Amino acid sequence: MLKAIRYYIEQSWLLIVSAFFFGLLIAVANAAWSGKADTNKKAKLSNLMKNLVQNAAKFEVAIKDANVADGKGKLLKTDIYKAVDENGNGLGFAYITSGTGFADKIELIIAVDADCGKFLGFEILYANETPGFGDKIKKDEFRNQFKNAPAEPVSLIKAGDRKKIDNEIVAITGATVTSTAVTNIFNKSIVSVKEALQQKGLIK
Amino acid sequence: MAESSTAKIDYLSALTAGLWKENPTFRLLIGMCPPLAVTTAVKPALTMGLCVIFVLVCSNVAISLMRNLLKPHLRIIMFTLSIAAFVTIADLYLRAFSPKMSEALGAYVPLIIVNCIIIFRAEACASKCNVWVSILDGIGSGTGFTLALCVLAGIREILAAGTFFDYRVMPKAFVPWAAMQMPVGAFVTLGLLLGLATLITTKRAD
Repeated sequence: MLKAIRYYIEQSWLLIVSAFFFGLLIAVANAAWSGKADTNKKAKLSNLMKNLVQNAAKFEVAIKDANVADGKGKLLKTDIYKAVDENGNGLGFAYITSGTGFADKIELIIAVDADCGKFLGFEILYANETPGFGDKIKKDEFRNQFKNAPAEPVSLIKAGDRKKIDNEIVAITGATVTSTAVTNIFNKSIVSVKEALQQKGLIK
Repeated sequence: MAESSTAKIDYLSALTAGLWKENPTFRLLIGMCPPLAVTTAVKPALTMGLCVIFVLVCSNVAISLMRNLLKPHLRIIMFTLSIAAFVTIADLYLRAFSPKMSEALGAYVPLIIVNCIIIFRAEACASKCNVWVSILDGIGSGTGFTLALCVLAGIREILAAGTFFDYRVMPKAFVPWAAMQMPVGAFVTLGLLLGLATLITTKRAD
């Protein structure tokens, strides 16, 4: 028995010692840099949200871990943020949700106005859609259709006037899957977000 | 390992072998995932290359220092352990100081752990040579890999976006080749460059 233990230690002492040493190295690096990484992440989020909500001074968490539906209607636990201006007036709400695109997930920040009556648009947190086709969701031409559209489920049409702001979204030619994914994310999430905000009494 | 056998190794050849003669991408065809995946633009490709140089040099040093203690049947796990540690550090660094690049490279930074260039250099050089040779070898192979990434990324970025290192180089009338941004662009460019590299070496040998 003792012989066996001795054998194992003889064989593996270097591995054990190195594992501790490298573990310590990673712990030190993590302690030194993880704070900065978190700040970067928060700064990026707040910058993207500021693009959506005009004149917003800061964003507070309105509902922590709210139930927000993704593109398939599955509920995710994510925060709903409230945009406030310098005087503390509420300007709108923003939340993060996701869905399945053509090849990869699509993660969006969607903003609505203070009484949840209108969309303020969306920003892309993550998307890896086909260049030249699906990645046109990044273009203003497509994105502006959502700006100021009534915060109700939208429908996708193949052709139409993109400048007309209503609940009909003109799809991207050659990227039906991506366009559908984005509208699905809007449709499923807005219902759940409205519900969550109403429950908390933040909107009527 | 006896020091006498390593003493003969030419320091200069340790440094330059990786640049062309044993270039990981063009001559040895190992570690082919990053050349295909992160070469849509020069900036992420360069960042990837620098990360690989860092990991390669650090893991070569670590393995070279413990080369006399390594048990043959446990050496791969030791290689992987040290590589994984340095890759994690590189990943943490990028997240803190270059969030944009960290995002652009995504999962490919943690995936350096399974990049076989590093484990190959550990096996072929660091576990047999002294620290100085291992450092030079790491720098050489890493630079060869970085250069290959940048050449590939340069061609793809110019044709796919009309820019090089985010500076516009093509005239405004240039129509970007969207295909160059897709995997197909990576395969075609890499194939042509490999053909060119083989052509040059066979011409030289003649």
